[in-house]
Amino acid sequence: MNPYVTLVLILVGMYGLISSTNIIKSVFMATLIESGVILLFLNLGQWNGGVIPITDDISLAIVDPIPQALMITTIVIGSTVTSLALIISIKIFHNHGSIEWKDLKK
Amino acid sequence: MIRRLVAVPLLLAIFVFAFFALDDFATLYNDFGRVYFQENGFYETGSLNLVTGIYLDYRLFDTLFEAGILLVAVTGVSWIAQHEHVEHNPLFMLDRFKIPELFVSFARIIYPVVLLFGIYVVFNGHLAPGGGFQGGSILATALLILYYIDLNKKTNLAQLFFIEKILYLILLSVSIVSYFTRGELFTNVVGPEAGTLWQSAFLITLNVLIGAKVALGLTAIFIAFLKEGR
Repeated sequence: MNPYVTLVLILVGMYGLISSTNIIKSVFMATLIESGVILLFLNLGQWNGGVIPITDDISLAIVDPIPQALMITTIVIGSTVTSLALIISIKIFHNHGSIEWKDLKK
Repeated sequence: MIRRLVAVPLLLAIFVFAFFALDDFATLYNDFGRVYFQENGFYETGSLNLVTGIYLDYRLFDTLFEAGILLVAVTGVSWIAQHEHVEHNPLFMLDRFKIPELFVSFARIIYPVVLLFGIYVVFNGHLAPGGGFQGGSILATALLILYYIDLNKKTNLAQLFFIEKILYLILLSVSIVSYFTRGELFTNVVGPEAGTLWQSAFLITLNVLIGAKVALGLTAIFIAFLKEGR
């Protein structure tokens, strides 16, 4: 996949973070930025193409396994952070009756 | 409105700069690591899947803290979700009249298949795409399907946390064993000279521990959400 597409994904997420009026939307936009970062790193590993890194054949050109191993960490941590943010937003809704930013700022 | 008007030119500027910066991205990248892992990865870790070899052997220290972060997050979610009054069965979501009968029937058929596939992915993590984290997520999905099949299902959260903490302690102690056998912390218990069979025994042990921990953690998060969204 083209790395420029991931750039667009990250920027769309940034615009969403700036313009979103709702906590849930902000959380999803942060997740979108995270997906963009993950795709960018995976692109970095297969810039010149290659086969999947499940082989012991030295003659094959494989993709870089290091970004993939790092991105597993990122995916797990991202999902836990998202779940924490969502549970906090549920708590905010129960205590304040709204999850709109403009109501919460009062 | 003003905020958006400022944001659009700013983001466009970032886009233009990053667009030209990405051209240099390919030159920054070097493939020393890739060449090293391709030549020595299978011999040193015993894992055909080089990604598993990296996160269960070379970077095991990193993986331990990743599992620790999952434990901390699950604890945080369930701590925030706790509340004083009596728990009700979350029927708002698992209403018999809202769930189509076809979905329930199909879930009954697919549940053992998903469970089996998750176990396969966990056990085959060093030979095929997969591993503890991916297989654990599939197992958690299977356990969530169980909630749709049996509406009156109740899970003891305290027991779940207890098992998860015990699993994390076992994970820590298994990764420290290599200090006593090889003199190196956080790596395989046996060296490359012992052969692939014994090396993969260690990898399967770690994958099963991580898979069980991830499955329990994600299930606990889901149950916390069910209880909170009453």
